[in-house]
Order: sequence, then structure tokens, then C-alpha cells
Amino acid sequence: MLQIESRQFAVERGLFACIQCGKCTGGCPMAMKTRLNPRDLIYRVLVSGNGFNLEGREELWDCTTCLTCYSRCPKQVNPMEAILAMRGAIVEKGKIHPNVKTALESTFRNGNPLKMPRSDRAEWAKELQLKAFPDGGAEYLFYIGCTPSYDPRGQKVARALVRVLGSAGLDFGILGNDENCCASEVRRLGEAGLFEAMVEENTAAFTELGVEKMFTVSPHCFNVFKNDYQKLEVGAKFSAQVQHYTQVLADLTRDGRLKFNGSFEQKVTYHDPCYLGRHNGIFDEPRAILQGIPGLELIEMDRSREKSLCCEGGGGRMFLEGTNPGTRLAQQRVQEALDSGATILATACPFCLLTLEEAVKHLNAEEKLRVLDIAEIAERAL
Amino acid sequence: MSDSIPSSANGRGAALVIGAGIAGIQAALDIADAGFKVYLVERSPSIGGRMSQLDKTFPTLDCSSCILTPKMADVPRNPNITLLTCTQVEAVEGQAGAFHVTLERQPRFVDESVCTGCGLCTDVCPVITPNIFNAALDSHKAIYRVFPQAVPAAFVIDKRPSPCKITCPAHIPVQGYIALIAQGKFREALQRVREAGVPFVGTLGRVCYHPCESECKRADWDEAVSICALKRIAYDAGRDDEKPQPVPIQYEEHVAVVGAGPAGLTTACNLTRRGYKVTVFDALPSPGGMLAAGIPEYRLPREVLNDEIDYVLAQGVELKLNTPIGRDGGPSLEDLRRDHQAVFLAIGAHGSSRLGVPGEDLPEVFQAVPFLRHMNMGHEANIGKHVAVIGGGNSAIDAARCALRLGAEVQLVYRRSRAEMPAAPWEVSAAEQEGVKLTFLSAPLRVIEKDGHAAGIECIRMKLGEPDSSGRRRPVPVDGTEYVMDVDTIIAAIGQNVESDGLGVETKWGQFVVDPLTLETSAKGVFAGGDAVIGPASVVEAIGAGLQAAESIHRYLRGMDLRDGRSQDHPKSKDIQISPAEAVKRAPREHMPELPVAERINNFREVELGLTAEQAMAEAQRCLSCAVCSECNQCVTACQRGAIVPEDAPRRIEVDVGAIVVATGFDVFDPRRKPEFGYGKYPQVITSLEFERLASASGPTAGRISLNGHPPNKVTFIHCVGSRDRSLNLPNCSRVCCMAVAKQAHLAHDRLPGAQITVFYMDVRAFGKGFEEFYDRVRKEGILYRRGNPSEIVRRGDHLFVRAEDTLLGEPVEVESDLIVLAAGLTPRADASGLAQILHLVQGTDGYFQEAHPKLRTVESSVPGMYLAGCCQGPKDIPDTVAQAKAAASAAMILLNGKGANHASN
Ligand SMILES: Cc1cc2nc3c(=O)[nH]c(=O)nc-3n(C[C@H](O)[C@H](O)[C@H](O)COP(=O)(O)OP(=O)(O)OC[C@H]3O[C@@H](n4cnc5c(N)ncnc54)[C@H](O)[C@@H]3O)c2cc1C
Ligand code: SF4
Ligand code: SF4
Ligand code: SF4
Ligand code: SF4
Ligand code: SF4
Repeated sequence: MLQIESRQFAVERGLFACIQCGKCTGGCPMAMKTRLNPRDLIYRVLVSGNGFNLEGREELWDCTTCLTCYSRCPKQVNPMEAILAMRGAIVEKGKIHPNVKTALESTFRNGNPLKMPRSDRAEWAKELQLKAFPDGGAEYLFYIGCTPSYDPRGQKVARALVRVLGSAGLDFGILGNDENCCASEVRRLGEAGLFEAMVEENTAAFTELGVEKMFTVSPHCFNVFKNDYQKLEVGAKFSAQVQHYTQVLADLTRDGRLKFNGSFEQKVTYHDPCYLGRHNGIFDEPRAILQGIPGLELIEMDRSREKSLCCEGGGGRMFLEGTNPGTRLAQQRVQEALDSGATILATACPFCLLTLEEAVKHLNAEEKLRVLDIAEIAERAL
Repeated sequence: MSDSIPSSANGRGAALVIGAGIAGIQAALDIADAGFKVYLVERSPSIGGRMSQLDKTFPTLDCSSCILTPKMADVPRNPNITLLTCTQVEAVEGQAGAFHVTLERQPRFVDESVCTGCGLCTDVCPVITPNIFNAALDSHKAIYRVFPQAVPAAFVIDKRPSPCKITCPAHIPVQGYIALIAQGKFREALQRVREAGVPFVGTLGRVCYHPCESECKRADWDEAVSICALKRIAYDAGRDDEKPQPVPIQYEEHVAVVGAGPAGLTTACNLTRRGYKVTVFDALPSPGGMLAAGIPEYRLPREVLNDEIDYVLAQGVELKLNTPIGRDGGPSLEDLRRDHQAVFLAIGAHGSSRLGVPGEDLPEVFQAVPFLRHMNMGHEANIGKHVAVIGGGNSAIDAARCALRLGAEVQLVYRRSRAEMPAAPWEVSAAEQEGVKLTFLSAPLRVIEKDGHAAGIECIRMKLGEPDSSGRRRPVPVDGTEYVMDVDTIIAAIGQNVESDGLGVETKWGQFVVDPLTLETSAKGVFAGGDAVIGPASVVEAIGAGLQAAESIHRYLRGMDLRDGRSQDHPKSKDIQISPAEAVKRAPREHMPELPVAERINNFREVELGLTAEQAMAEAQRCLSCAVCSECNQCVTACQRGAIVPEDAPRRIEVDVGAIVVATGFDVFDPRRKPEFGYGKYPQVITSLEFERLASASGPTAGRISLNGHPPNKVTFIHCVGSRDRSLNLPNCSRVCCMAVAKQAHLAHDRLPGAQITVFYMDVRAFGKGFEEFYDRVRKEGILYRRGNPSEIVRRGDHLFVRAEDTLLGEPVEVESDLIVLAAGLTPRADASGLAQILHLVQGTDGYFQEAHPKLRTVESSVPGMYLAGCCQGPKDIPDTVAQAKAAASAAMILLNGKGANHASN
């Protein structure tokens, strides 16, 4: 049996504070389409005496870690973290889904969950002649992340960003094939042990390299470095100042270092990635960049900022179907973008980019709507 | 100003009651009825507090204003109560039994004892502003009565700072003349500016650098209002040939003004109006200072300037031209001081800085200021065909554009780049359009001489180096880049200075040293202002100094304090928040037509042609009325009782009291802090207080519950918005919302037959007398209570959906709604900590004022002699509030009776 000691579990995670208001479930995008009900889950943990059985609770893998639940909770209970801890308990017992297993094994072996060789990690940049960090003496470490390193769509974003940063004269270097996965998805998939090992490894490497300032393409990498590393004892030494690239670009635009001499004459709507917006409160910087681009008209969808609808790409869901693969949230999101009258759906996250683009194809809307990363839009307006 | 009101009319001691909501009113009436004196201090213009905003009251459904109004009316009738509205506590000293309290009364601008409440003023007032009492669901005029049953019934003017007026160095009532223009009242608009002491309206409307426009709030929406062009049309369309009559002389003192520029003439004009005899001395043969001698005619037609100078002189100002003071054989300053009791030095900055290069004294090298003066005084200018103007300021541009008009080819040489040019950008581009060539990063090395005449100028290229003390990057020469410009005339315009020698007044860099507030110089009775003090600047700054000097000289001559009540601290315009009464529609600013370039370059005709009357009225309507009251003074004219006091100012009031009752109430949570509900974004989402106004017979819809005229038929209420919420650090229950929602659901059911009414709740707290019974009744009426607190509101197409989990079903649900009422919680007053500091009160962790003991001393505060009543101590309903107010009153009376001092301290 897959039991957790539920009383201790609930006390440690503050679940007794829950007043069963249902705000978490009322806002949870997965509760709309799956059995996942965070309030109900908490209540069942609370009333289960001291043994709560996780067997058969497939819905635990439905959570996209969008954090809507926590952001709505009036009592500061964090259902998402409770769910991740339950996943951890399952993984610890070795009862994991084969897809999850492959992703985790690949991360352990190759430093990425995508089953790609380490030696290909810097392929995307082979024609770009970028400075190597730290030998090139650069000010910033540009941390690329797995999807932008390997996925052809993601690579385009990384290259666009390089051009934009170059035009602003930002001094940065990359780690090339020495870059290792940030382990964000490892944590979301509940593999606490592997996560700890990788935090230890990465923290040691960054400390040795003397990284002081760094930025990432993906909000997921940004989030884990910024919020999760230092919480572990083995990551306590992690001291680099981490930014998401939209923060860097917004600063460069504000200081007048990044100038858009071209224009981008399109109606653009912006999808707030969960890990940039709700997780880290970064709503204004991406918009500031877009609004600074000549010709660009920014339209807001109803669900924007704090209310952004998750694309269903987070929480390890890039590697898992979930219990209701039917309509992905990304399709609903693309429909909202179409309804807004925009011709471009902008985002700032490689996962969002892939899921949304997939959804556009699925809805046969390629003629009407294109999905672009902010870095790509910025590049077109240089 | 400060008043002292006798503290205990009947010798039995007095109490101060702070806040006049139902708690304060009740406490004041009780204490007064027992024979003690009461000062009832209320911050807003009327008493009544939140209760006056409510429609019905739970659980008995009494009409709120029907039960409150009689109590309000009792207050002014009670001889023991002194009611002070628009007033706040500034400081409290002393202890129980003997407090000394300093109050500050904000101006109401209407004399309460004179105003009859007839409303004639409101009819003529051109400004509308959101009606805060009606939760901004409708609007009222700038002069208004808070609500029909207000006590006192007198009207009040909402007057705030506006960025334009603050920024204007002469503090011209910009919004006032703009409001008049919007109504087509051009004459009144001109009159309004002149009334404010500014005689140069048509002049400023042409040559002012309008710093006001850079701060105009309208630019946050689209573009700044054309404040300057509107001033021009106030004059152009509002002027007539009538000249003012000489003002009779009231005082025997005689004032001398040195300099007939805008500073000097403004001072002369204002002192003459106050009844002084003023003589203005000027070295030049015609008056106007730089307006006449410096500014070229194509920017300021002399007909306009002379008309405005005549306006000043016609009031009785004496003018002595061709009379230099302290130089060239004219009278000395000492001579003037013998015959005059005050002197104002406004001699401008008419000296020129030298180029400091060889060849500078050749006959073809001119200085800009004398060159312009020479031409402006009607003399022939002997310049050649190829002119180089050196400099990048406004004088350089003026000289260049003049030389061009005399038929020369003109090159302007400036040592920094375009971005650093001190000249106004629109002047620079006009010069360019007309054909002036600009050469940047270049500086003269020497004037090339040939047979005693200038035959060119050698220059060197510059580059920008490190920033200098002025913060601009210092130009440095680039070796080996010398080159020769082929010109026959050079006009140097690199700086002006003040010709202050020989006056015997303290100077620094030639400029008079003055006290910036009073403009006093080192010599007693001698004041100075304008360019002569700040160096070459602007007409409007000179006028501002003129106004300042007139005030100082008047005070000086009348033996009054020169500083009292004056200050140069104004709020920063970026800190001014405005709330336009209506949604601002984008409308670009109106532009003046200009004379085509071909028609201007060979003459001195005016370039800018002014707005048409229609354009001006449309432009004036773009003003957002930042200050609310525009100071147009139309109400002053309309009021037949003379009740309006435009110059009303804050007043200090000191009182001595034995006891203090604090009854300052609560604020309503701002649901914008929970963005998931879209309050402020979706018009269909309102707070419960707004619902009260919608339901109230005296509210904006006369009690019909409707939005944009449509009665809703799917109404959803949401409990606990901003209550019991640790994520917002608002952990407490607001105590009244459950029952308020029940009441409102009932009202909605009653007034909207057939509507579907849903209440989302976590739990219903019906703890008071008759509450549970009322809750039973409401549910039975057919109102659906669903357990679960909504997470968000989303819009699909035109429809709003409340998304929640129905926790009894264990399922997420969506409820379509066309009116959503958020039961916004109660919070401590935003300024509670400020008051706590003044009174030394302790606040609880929830921010409410803390009682001395939670069980046994529930109305005593942490300070002996101060008592708490109503929601300032914690959220509560009306019955509890009244009970606590009566208890606080009785505790105060025990102390006043001399029995409480011991009790209060143990
Ligand atoms: C070419 C030029 C263009 C300008 N354009 C603009 C513009 O477009 N907009 C703007 O806002 N500002 C402009 N200015 C600046 C503006 O004219 C001045 O800031 C303003 O006139 C200063 O007013 P004032 O009364 O202090 O001095 P002034 O206007 O200089 O008046 C001083 C008067 O005192 C007289 N005087 C001096 N010494 C003595 C003495 N010892 N005895 C008796 N009389 C004396 C002088 O003859 C003069 O008449 C311009 C200035 C110049 C030079
Ligand atoms: S993180 Fe998102 S998907 Fe997961 S339970 Fe919370 S609201 Fe639902
Ligand atoms: S929102 Fe918080 S308090 Fe409400 S049910 Fe969910 S976890 Fe419990
Ligand atoms: S017109 Fe005068 S008397 Fe009448 S309401 Fe206005 S201020 Fe009062
Ligand atoms: S001065 Fe003008 S704007 Fe102000 S209250 Fe009177 S009429 Fe209204
Ligand atoms: S909008 Fe009107 S009141 Fe406000 S700053 Fe501009 S001109 Fe002045």
C-alpha cells in the first residue's frame, strides 16, 4: 500500500489551516477537466486518521503546478506543494509512470530530460561564436536550459535572444556542453533525491565558476534557481543573482541600450507563463518590452496577469498525458487568443511556446494566429 | 490664522469627539445632553458617516436615513455642541482631565453661516467630478452639497492642487480660464487671468515656454492641453478697447520700480491695484524690457505688447523712460530710497558675455542682445550676406531668425550637440524650416581679419567629454580639425549678464542676492526679482517674481510679517492623482496654423496664427479638471448671498477638553487588491457599499437597481472579500458582511422580480439578536445559498461567470451573472496609524485601536481619558456601535464629573 503518515504530513504542511472554502478548486484549471480537487484532497488527508492511501490517485499527476490554488488561498495553504510531496512519496516507493522514469533517467545520465547527448548541448550556438563563461570574462552567465538547447523550436528562441542581447551590447557568456539541467522538472515530478543531488552538483559548479549574475530563457529554470535551490541545505551556497531574460530586456530598453529601429506591425496578445507570472510576480516587464516595440499593438485577453490560464505544460506535464488528455488547456488558451482578435500570441516560456503552437495546429488556426516568443518579436523589430 | 473657542461654556468641562458618524453623533449628543460642552470634529464636510450611505438596515429593514437624519439634525440644534466639519486633529497635549488640542480646519470656501443652500452656484459651475458619496456611480459639480440631508446644509467647494497651476511660475489659474474658454467665455477668461495679477496675457500666450504643459496630466492619456495657445485666444478673442480706470491711491507710501520689463510692470500693476503710488524707471526709450528690446516682432507683435503695457499704465502707474538708475549719470539707488519707501529692482540681464577670441572687436562682430535691441527699437541693422551666429540658446535662435529675415544666409554654430541645446526645441525647428543651417560640435577660435574688417571665422570641431558641473557633457576640441567658415558677419549669443554695478546691493556673479521667498535684498526696503536675480530666464518667471515682490512690498509697507503663510513647497505633480468624472476619450491636441515659410522669411509678420474659437473650445474641453474647482469664480458671481470665500485658507483652532472620544470609523476594503475578481475592470462587479447606493432612494438611480439602465436578472453575492484573508494580512472577520449580504439579497429579490439570486458563502455568521431569524426569512424567499467561496470571475464574450467550487457538491461550478456584489470587508481607516500617533493610542495587530481590556474595559483606550466608540475599535454593526458610543460617552462623563481620574488610571 502506498500510505503516507497523513497527520504529520498535514501538520508539516500547514494543512490544518484550511477552512475548506474551495477557492483552490474553484480556480484550479485541472479541476475543470479531471478528478483533481485540491480542497477535497486536503480534507481527505485531514480526516484519514494517520494513514492516507495514495494508491490509485492518478489525478496527482494531473496537477500542472500552475499555483492558482495557492495564489487564491486566503489561509496561505499551498495545495500545490502538498501535491508535489505526495508525488514524492509515490516516487520514493518506485511506483512511477514509465514516461516519468525515462525523463528522470535521462536527466540523471545526460543532464537533460529529453534523451539527448550532452555533447550536443551547444549545437544550437555553433555558428554564433559566443563567449565561454567564465574564461571569456563576461559579466553575465546566459543559462540556456534544456528545451532551448535541444528542441529546434526552442533553439530559434535562444538564437533570437542572442541577437537581441548583442544589439544592446550586453556582455554575456555561456557554459556550452558543460551546462547541466536545472532540475526544475525533476522536482515537479517528485524525485526529491535526484533533485537534491543535482542542486548540490549545480551549486558547486556555479560557485566554482564564480557566477554572480545570470539569466535564463525559461521561467522554469529561473524559478528553480531563484526560489528552490537555497531552500535546500546543499544549495544554500547558491548566491548568483538570477533574472529571467524579460527582466534583462526590460532593463535594457529602459536604459536606452536596447533600441528598436524596426517595427512589428501586429496585434499581439501576451500569455503570462505560470512560472513567470503567478510564481514570481513578473507581469510588467514582458509587457513593457512589447509596448516599446514600434507598431506593435498589445491586446489583453480577459485571463491575463494573475488570472492567466495555464497551458498545461508545467509540473512535468511535458512528459505525461494526465488522466484526461482530451482537450488540452492550451487549446482553450489559443481560442481565447483568437477571440481577442490578436494575430500573434506572444509568450516567454519554451514550454508554453511548444504547447500553444501544438494547439494552434490542432485547431487549424495557423493562418490566423502565430505563436512567438517575446525574444523573437524583439529580434524582428531590431 | 488661529482661533480660540472658550473651552467650557458652562464651567462643567468639555469633551472632544473625533469623527461624526453614528458613534460620534451619539456620543456627542449624550455628553451634551448631560450638560457638558462638546466639540464634535469631522473631517468631511458633513456629519453622518457611513450610515448615511446605507439604504435599509438589517435585521429590521429600517430605512437608514430615516432613523439617522433626526439625530443629525439634533447636533446643530444642541447649544452645548460646537460642530467643526472639514476639521482634523493636529496635536494633543496634556492628560486625562486636561487635554490641550490643536485642530486644523480645511477651507470649505463657503461661509456656513451665510450659505442658504439655494444651489445657484452649482448651476453655473462648469466642473463635474465623481460623487464619492454615491461610490462614484454618478457625479456632482465642484461646488456641491454632499447629500441632500447633509449637516451642515451649506455647500462646499472641492479644491485641490493642479499640476499646471503649481508648475506655472506665476501660478496662473490655468484650469479656470480654460473652463471659461470651454464655454466660449473668452472675455471672462481674459479677465480671470488679469484678476490673478497677470497683465501680460496675450504676451504670455505667444512667448511663454509653458513649463505647465510638460506637467499636464492629460498627457497620461494622449497629449498635454495647449495651455499656452488657450491663453493667447483668451486675449485675442476676449480683449476690447476699454481701458481700466485709474485706481484711487489709498496709502501715502510711494514705491519705485527699476526696470519696465515684465517683472517690474507686474509689480507696479499689482501695487497700484492695492492703492499704492508707483513710479517705474527705465533706461530705455520704450517700456517692456526684453519683451520690447529682445523678443522679435514675428513672435510678439508690438501692437499686442503695447496694448498690454497700456493696460498696466492706465491703472495709474507712472513711467519714467530714459532714466538709468545708478549709471550713465542717472539718479542713484540712494536717491530713489530717499523719495520712495520701497524699491523693486527688476533690471533684467542686458549685458553680454564676450566670446574671448581674437578679432572679437571688429566692427562686423555683434552681440545678440544689442543687435536685437537695436533692431527692435526701429534702427537699421548693418549686417552682411553671410552671417554666423555663435551659441545655442533662445537669443541665438532669435538673432539667427532675424538675420535671415534681413536677407542673409545664416549658419548657427554650437559647441555641443542638438540634445544639449538650451533653446526651446520648437524654436530650433522653426529656424531650421526657415533655412537656418545648424552646425553642431564646433567652436570659434578667432575672427579672421582683413583690412580691419571681419573676413571669416576659424572654428574647430569638438567632441563631448565627461559631464561638467551642470551635468551636461563638456565639449572638448579635437586637435587638427580647424576649418574656416566664409562669413562677413558674426553675432555672438553665448550669454547674458546683469548690469548690477553701481547699485550698491549685494550680488553674486553680478546677480542680486535675495531671500527666495520674500525677494528682499541686502538693503532694507529694497527688493529684486526676475532675470536680475536668476539670470536670463523667462517672461513667466519674471511675472511670478513680480507677483511675489508686490506681496512682499505690501506686507513690508504695512508692517506685516513677510513670511507668514507663504511657502514655495508645492506637491509634486507626479504625486497628484486625478480621477476624471468620465472616461477620457482620446482626442489629439488642436494645433495653431502657421504662416507658410515662404511668406515669413523676408518680413517680421507673426508666424503663429492662433486657434479659432471653435478649435479653442474643443481644446479647452480636453482639460481634465485636475484641481476639481477650476477657480473660474463663476459661482462667486452667481451667489446672491456673497457666501463664497475663494481665498479661504486652513485655520488652526485650539481647544481645552477633559475627555476625548475617538469615533473615526472604518474604510472599505479595495477589491482591486484581489485582481481575480476584476473589480474596476468589469462594470458589473461592485462592492456592497456601492450596492447600498444603488438600492437607496436618494442614490444615483433613485433606488432602482440597475446598471446602465438595465435591471440585472442574475445577481451573485460573494462573501468575505478582503476579510479572513491572511494572504492580504487581513485576518479578521468583518462581522457585518454576512448580514449585509442577507439584507441586500433580500432587497435584490424584492426589487428585481424573477431575478436569480445566488449567495456564495463559506459559513454564515448570524450571531446577533434577530439575525438568524432574518437569515431564515431571506432563504425562504427563494435565495440560493451555495457553500464555497468563489475563486475568480471570468468574461466570455459579453458574459461574466463566477467560478467557484460548490463544496457541498464537491464540484467546480460556473454561475453566469450580470451583477456581482462583492461583500468587501471593513478595514481600519487608511490614516489610523497617523491618528494613533497624534493621540498616542495603541493599535491591535489588526490595525484597529486597541481597548484597555478585552473584557472589562472595552471602551477605554490605551490612554487614560480617551475612549473608543464604533468601528475604529473593530468592525461592528449599528446596534453595537450605538451601545459602545453610549458607553464611551458615559465613561467620558464620569471623568468630566471629577470621579474618573483615579478610575481612568488604574
Ligand atoms: C532674445 C530673447 C528672447 C527671449 N524670448 C523669450 C520667450 O520667448 N519667452 C520667455 O518666456 N522669455 C523669453 N526671454 C526672456 C525674457 O524676456 C526675460 O526672462 C524677461 O523679460 C525678464 O523680465 P525682467 O522684468 O526681469 O527683466 P527685463 O525684461 O529685462 O526688464 C528690465 C528692465 O529694466 C531696465 N533697466 C535695467 N537697468 C536699469 C537701471 N539701472 N535703471 C533703470 N532701468 C534699468 C531695462 O532697460 C529693462 O527695461 C527672451 C530673452 C531674450 C534676450
Ligand atoms: S497548481 Fe494548478 S493545477 Fe495544481 S492543484 Fe494548484 S491550481 Fe490545480
Ligand atoms: S483555498 Fe486554501 S483554505 Fe480554501 S480550501 Fe483551498 S487550501 Fe483550503
Ligand atoms: S449660491 Fe451661495 S447661498 Fe446658494 S448654495 Fe451656493 S454658496 Fe450657498
Ligand atoms: S470657481 Fe468655478 S469651478 Fe470652482 S466651484 Fe466656483 S464655479 Fe465651480
Ligand atoms: S488637464 Fe487641465 S488641469 Fe490638468 S494639468 Fe492639464 S491643463 Fe491643468
